[in-house]
Amino acid sequence: MWKRDEAVRTPQPSTPAVTPMPQEPAAPRPEPTRLQEKENTVNIGKSVIIKGDLSGSEDLTIEGQVEGKIELRQNILTIGPNGKIKAQVFAKAVVVQGEVQGNITATERVDIRDAGSVDGDLSAPRIAIADGAHFRGSIDMQRQGGAPGDVKSTGKVGDAKTVDVKVPDVKVSTPSPAPAPAIR
Amino acid sequence: MASLFKWGRKEETPAVKAVSVSASDAVSPSKVLPRVLAALKHIPSPVLLDLGPVIGSNVSFFGDELACKIKVEDLFAEVEAHTRQGTRAQLPQALPARLRHAPESIDGILCWDLFDYLDKPSAQALAVHLVSLLKPGGVLYGFFGASAVDLTHYTRFIVENPSTFRLRLAPATPTKRYVLVVRDLNRLFEGLLTSESVLLKSSVRETLFRKRA
Repeated sequence: MWKRDEAVRTPQPSTPAVTPMPQEPAAPRPEPTRLQEKENTVNIGKSVIIKGDLSGSEDLTIEGQVEGKIELRQNILTIGPNGKIKAQVFAKAVVVQGEVQGNITATERVDIRDAGSVDGDLSAPRIAIADGAHFRGSIDMQRQGGAPGDVKSTGKVGDAKTVDVKVPDVKVSTPSPAPAPAIR
Repeated sequence: MASLFKWGRKEETPAVKAVSVSASDAVSPSKVLPRVLAALKHIPSPVLLDLGPVIGSNVSFFGDELACKIKVEDLFAEVEAHTRQGTRAQLPQALPARLRHAPESIDGILCWDLFDYLDKPSAQALAVHLVSLLKPGGVLYGFFGASAVDLTHYTRFIVENPSTFRLRLAPATPTKRYVLVVRDLNRLFEGLLTSESVLLKSSVRETLFRKRA
């Protein structure tokens, strides 16, 4: 039995250089994804001024000025340190490092960094406001009526604290008999 | 071995620094905040009006505890601006004008220690306006210093948990504290009932008012 297995495996080591190789390419995989992310993120530079509606299906970073309405329902909007926005904003997630005058609605989160400034109303399930950030307006955190298992990881929202789903929601939902056989 | 230990110590220093930074904030117990939460918890999506500067962790705390809508109006900044410009005489008009909310539209007001920084006319004008903003059954939560001292800083009340605050100081243009005793408070917030009042060891009265339902 064992010999047969070895016999089966031996032909594979005949190409030993090939087997580790697939693992090595696995490491550089992030590079293309990062590149793709960069490619998917559109930048509006410092000198650009836009008046009107802005919508799209790519992540967007604004370093310039925008007046009007911004809609990125499925994507992330970042208002850079030089960005100045006078607009209603609708996005999946919004990161504010610059100035915003207007209401922000996000389906996932709003993150106001320490140098960020918002004059307007915020509406999102998770809102993080860093120390030193300026904010004036109202904050509406809709409580999602998801199942206990819908706990979302909140990491990466910057230095400020985020609103998590309550800890009591994290229950060991699997019945105890299930893990018992695994222990045996 | 010794070098190994030293190396270990170097690794620990950032953490120690971080602890010392947070330890610089004084910790203060709260007897009344649990009552505030209890008063608001039965209201679906209550509306809170925070008269202090926005504090991210407080927003998270109240959002998590109450699933509320929070309106932030930093009146401390308004007071500071007028104090610096020497226009404190305008505060009785400026403060209520800043709060453009519909009458009886707010379930809870977080005053913190704002009234310590206000003279009598400003305090009176603001108090009347705040009472008008509260819904019947709504609550007003504040701290009122009991000793007449010069105030050289503002205190940021950072809620750690329902019974503990971290107090972080922020520089302020020096002003006198206007002491309001219980009788003054009752007159000031006419139309509200004192629901809870606790004199803390720091000579600060932590008070919860409630508007008649």
